[in-house]
Amino acid sequence: MNLAPSPADADALPQAPGLLRTAAAILRDSWLEFRDARILWLLLAAILILFVTALSGRVEPQPAGRTYLDLAAKTLGADLTGFDLGKDSVADIVKRLDGSLAWIASAEAGGGDLPETSWRVTLARSVVPLVGKPEDAAAVQERFGQIPDGRLWTVTAIRETTTVVSRALGGQTWEMTVAPGPDLRLLWPHRFTLFFGGLELTPPSGAPLGLEVFILQKLLCTGLGSTILLLVCVVVTAAFVPTMLRKGTLELLLVRPVPRWQLIVFKYVAALVFVAGLLGTLILATWLVTVLLSDVRSPGVVLALPSLLLFFALLLAVSVCTGVITRSAPAAMLVAVTYWAVLFIVGVMHQQSVASRLRAENVGKPRPTSVIDALRGRKPSVDGPQGAGSAFHKSTAGRVADGLYAVLPHIEDLDTMVDRQLMRDFAIGGRIRMLVESPDFSWRSGVGLTLIHAGLALALACRVFSRRDP
Amino acid sequence: MVTDCETVVAVAGLEKDYGTVQALGGVSLDVARGEIFGLLGQNGAGKTTLVKILLGMVLPTGGAANLLGRPVGSVAARRLVGYLPEDHRLPEYHTGPSLLDVYGGLQGLSRAERRGRTAELLATLGLAGREGLRIRGYSKGMKQRLGLAQALLHRPRVLFLDEPTDGVDPVGRRQIRELLLEERARGVTIFINSHLLGEVEQLCDRVAIMRKGQVVLSGTVPELVGLKRSWLVGFDRAPDPDTRCAGLRLERAERAGLFRLSIDGPADADPDPLLDRFLAEASAAGLALRHLERERGSLEDIYLELAREGAPTR
Repeated sequence: MNLAPSPADADALPQAPGLLRTAAAILRDSWLEFRDARILWLLLAAILILFVTALSGRVEPQPAGRTYLDLAAKTLGADLTGFDLGKDSVADIVKRLDGSLAWIASAEAGGGDLPETSWRVTLARSVVPLVGKPEDAAAVQERFGQIPDGRLWTVTAIRETTTVVSRALGGQTWEMTVAPGPDLRLLWPHRFTLFFGGLELTPPSGAPLGLEVFILQKLLCTGLGSTILLLVCVVVTAAFVPTMLRKGTLELLLVRPVPRWQLIVFKYVAALVFVAGLLGTLILATWLVTVLLSDVRSPGVVLALPSLLLFFALLLAVSVCTGVITRSAPAAMLVAVTYWAVLFIVGVMHQQSVASRLRAENVGKPRPTSVIDALRGRKPSVDGPQGAGSAFHKSTAGRVADGLYAVLPHIEDLDTMVDRQLMRDFAIGGRIRMLVESPDFSWRSGVGLTLIHAGLALALACRVFSRRDP
Repeated sequence: MVTDCETVVAVAGLEKDYGTVQALGGVSLDVARGEIFGLLGQNGAGKTTLVKILLGMVLPTGGAANLLGRPVGSVAARRLVGYLPEDHRLPEYHTGPSLLDVYGGLQGLSRAERRGRTAELLATLGLAGREGLRIRGYSKGMKQRLGLAQALLHRPRVLFLDEPTDGVDPVGRRQIRELLLEERARGVTIFINSHLLGEVEQLCDRVAIMRKGQVVLSGTVPELVGLKRSWLVGFDRAPDPDTRCAGLRLERAERAGLFRLSIDGPADADPDPLLDRFLAEASAAGLALRHLERERGSLEDIYLELAREGAPTR
């Protein structure tokens, strides 16, 4: 018996594949498998229909110039330095008044009453005798139109027209030309209709364009659209590993000169690459639809790509691990979807707990309402003390949710960080803004724990696969 | 056939237990370069376990096995082998060329090598012209040919084939046999697991028969089939049906006028003295011998004999 190596045979042996060649081969195999899934094409068709429907939408501005000029005048008398939209409200503006009151004495639109229109405005200001101080034109030019949500108006020309008598009585007037500020369009009320005006989606007075774009992007991409897309991707990719581990197929792979862990890891990476492509397409399409409909070009929605991809990476790792252990596609799919449901429920409960705690911390303070809410006649109200039963963060359920959230992947953080960026971009205020601006949510904790969980699941899958007989 | 007697597959005392079940109980065998080696045995005899250990898919409980001096299971050993499993399931979302491209990549072949080898093998195995067809549209025979193509793709030194002609029509079988003989001529060692004994007999240089996790018989095909211990005898008249000779059994054979004389005793009994004694007794009884022919066995006879519970190990 000859168990010694044959020196003559050492030459001209076929080379083992390098990492890149192995990765390329598995990527190609996975792409063909991915492409073969009919449900994927059904999904893409559904998303296409959704986007075509969105493209039938119309966004039309409603008259609001005078209202927004009035708002700018009202806020002129307040010192808004350090104003925190997340914490403060219109009511807080009142507290910051500097003893003066400003109003629009007359306004004439340079064109239609549209967010692109410049206005010729007469601004009047009255100062409380002995309290208020006169304002100079440069300060008015600087501050007029700046509100917590953003800059509504820009004063392009100003001339003080105060008479001697008026000045003696504490009054001032200015003739101004004001142009739209960078945030005016986002805050301007628009009518939003679908099917070329056939289906009205907003009240007749319209809704702020920023809010409409936020809801549209949430529907198409960061919320509903991505949920459907990721669900289908979980279903499709759940079969990846069990198909590879089928008797008769597995042997054809195990005989290759490739370490087993590479088969699992590259299959995982391949699935991630395809889903990244789909998510990227969804996000790009959402952004394009947004631009075509509203001409709002803010790219904040791009943040959804790392957020959603990281979330999918976690679900895929759980699915792969289950697939390796059970060799069953339905089991892999079921465990991944159940895990998703658990993370979602715990995340929502944790968010409720944070909201409850924020309410408790702000008892007696006016509820944060956006400037637009105030303009629409919604008066600020005050949070009263919570009853023992309504303080969710102190309840058993709240504490359990917070405890679970501390150890589970922080999916809610990832989602909230995207919402935070979008709300900033689209000048959305109010209580929900206060919640998303809470320091309880951060990229660091969202990314860190998610990566750790995904890594552990994948490592377990590789270990089991490497040690098990086929 | 290359006959430099270099050992390609070396197995020494290989054991494998699955819990309390012993799948292999100390298997030893050598296979030389350029040899076609047939592994026979009933289902559960341990053939597949042995092959999977040699391919590095299953870890042995004891013993040692090398392929060209490299420990089985190592990446170095797996570079040398091609494998066609029984009941293989080729991923159906592939076409023939795309499957070979993926497997070629995993074998480390360059793009140009993969393309060239794919075209060559598809033509050799009669799959040319079907390049665009997904595997889900293949017949069983086509799948078997493609399975063989993936095993040969990287020009392996050792081929492990499990039922290589399963589902293939007679013309295809002949093509495959010729292909395997060509591979043997190139110095490739071929390890065949098959229940088609006639095919094994036609193809294999040596055969091992396994039973209950052990090799119970091995040798060249002529050696094994020559072991049949019976004769066809004919006399000038029919012998008395009561003719008896210790250790021998006489019965009417299928051929007219001839009788089969077979050894009816211990398997290790020497047949020649028994035959001499029978002939002497027949002569004494007045029977003139007209025909005497040593029966040639077949692999099937040997296999069936060994498959009998309690049959002796040779």
